[in-house]
Amino acid sequence: MIELKDITKTYRKNGGMEVNVLQGVSLRIEKGEYVAIMAPSGMGKSTLMNIIGCLDRPSTGEYRLDGIEVEKMDDDSLSSVRNKKIGFVFQSFHLLPRTTALENVQLPLIYSTDETDMDARAGAALDEVGLGDRMHHVPGELSGGQQQRVAIARSLVNDPSILLADEPTGNLDTASSTEVMSIFDKLHKDGRTIIMVTHSDEIAQRAGRVIKMRDGRIVSDDRRAA
Amino acid sequence: MKQAKTVRLALKAIGMNKMRTFLMMLGIIIGITTLTVIVSVGKGASAKVMKSIQNFGANAVLIFAGGGKVMGPPDEKVNTLTLEDSQAILQEVKGIRSMDTALIRVGRTVKYEDNNTNTVIYGGTTNYGDAWEWPVESGDYFTEEDMGSMARVAVLGKTVVRELYGDADPIGTNIRIENVNFKVVGVLGPRGTSPMGMDMDSRIIVPYTTAARRVFNTPYVSLIRIAAADPNQVEKIESDVAALLTDRHRIQAGFPEDFRVRGASSVSKMAKGMMGTLNLFLGLVSLISLAVGGLVVMNIMLISVGERVKEIGLRRALGARKQDVRSQFLIESSLITVMGGLIGVVVGLVVSVLLPIMSKGKMAALPSWEPFVLGFVFSAMVGILAGIHPATKAAEMDPVVALKG
Repeated sequence: MIELKDITKTYRKNGGMEVNVLQGVSLRIEKGEYVAIMAPSGMGKSTLMNIIGCLDRPSTGEYRLDGIEVEKMDDDSLSSVRNKKIGFVFQSFHLLPRTTALENVQLPLIYSTDETDMDARAGAALDEVGLGDRMHHVPGELSGGQQQRVAIARSLVNDPSILLADEPTGNLDTASSTEVMSIFDKLHKDGRTIIMVTHSDEIAQRAGRVIKMRDGRIVSDDRRAA
Repeated sequence: MKQAKTVRLALKAIGMNKMRTFLMMLGIIIGITTLTVIVSVGKGASAKVMKSIQNFGANAVLIFAGGGKVMGPPDEKVNTLTLEDSQAILQEVKGIRSMDTALIRVGRTVKYEDNNTNTVIYGGTTNYGDAWEWPVESGDYFTEEDMGSMARVAVLGKTVVRELYGDADPIGTNIRIENVNFKVVGVLGPRGTSPMGMDMDSRIIVPYTTAARRVFNTPYVSLIRIAAADPNQVEKIESDVAALLTDRHRIQAGFPEDFRVRGASSVSKMAKGMMGTLNLFLGLVSLISLAVGGLVVMNIMLISVGERVKEIGLRRALGARKQDVRSQFLIESSLITVMGGLIGVVVGLVVSVLLPIMSKGKMAALPSWEPFVLGFVFSAMVGILAGIHPATKAAEMDPVVALKG
């Protein structure tokens, strides 16, 4: 469960000018929700995702993740939270080049405390996204859609409670997008919490809840019957 | 398992850009090769010095005519040492077991039939064999009678025999030294090189009287060799001889001596001093190339960190702690330098094996296991030192900024 309370984030630009990217965001996301966040570029959605993903800290406000006060954690503990509780999926996949799908998926396991059965667990994650037969392919040998599915498998391998996807279909054609989105649908049905940033209304419609932001604030929060 | 994976990932990263990896290794390879050669040459040289000190004689004291020079054969134009000096030494210095007084000329032409060679002519006494502890291999030394009659008889060193006769037996044949006929009566046993690298087997021994009056026409002495009764007395004899000659030659305090006294200990000191200088020089070369190699590794690692910003951001997002990122780059840089170091040791050992062969024995080198330990330790140290700055830079990146690239 994610609880954000009056979150603000202020950056100081090179010229010394302060930019208020988030101006008091309060938000509560329950376990198992499928949330789409929509906002024009530069309106704070990436910063919000980074804060939810424990990559960044808010300037002020409180953030509780499964009851833990994140803003009080040190850097190593945040790394551990990212490793265990959060799975990231990026717009540009972020796979290591010339490294097999299996090894890419294993990457979070290297930084986890549980090092047992790395091959089996990574293999299972690849099975879950339907790429069990592409384990030993390197990214260059895979289509964009397949690469994104490898990235999704990587986000799943440590069995996190939350998946954070930042425009996961932004670099994909329509067919691949559909393929990737259906995987997210399935993961949601399996009970995972999914938070997805997107520009596309079509994709947002798959989510049970759409949050729209503008100028660092939430302007609408619509729940739909799933 | 985890460490093995980290190392495998590092190996993969290293393998991705082979040319760059090779360039990173190059300085380390050169440095460790030099280090390995130093160790091998040092060991070889010290074995050679030990052997040549043995050749010199642990109980020997040599007195050369003329001062100034550190070492080397006596100077021909120097007439500072006389037969009277040698008599005085024999009478007044205690602890002498045997003494040979010699007139020496170097680089003289010697002919046998159509063959000729250049060698050292040593006009000595019948004490030669005892004072030099140098037995003949065949034939015999000349006698007191030969000394008295200025007989034209000669004893040949092994090198002279090889160059003039090949495998034939020289005893009983006639050779010409400076156009004077000599009969060969004996052949010296093999001795090897002197501490200064001279071939001691390239010499011909003739009676002092014959050399002084029939060949070179000079009454002076070039060299006196003393064999001490007890090796522990060598330094005492050295100083006694020096004091006696200083007195006899009326050399005032503060003026240079016109003779040189050299014992086994001073010879070994000089030889070690020369070796030390060479080692210091090579050590410096090794240190500089390791330092330059380290700088190259550091700079290329910095470039590599710059190129892999996104990867660093990704790893941080997936749960890598700062120290995980730091150790990843440290492992990469030290793997590269250690591999370079091991290549350097192997190249260095090959050079150590080839060096004596290519220099025809002039340079000694003794391959050993120590370079592997030294090479590993030094290259790992360079890798860690060179990796600290790039690795820290990578670890301290803001993951949000790094992910954007």
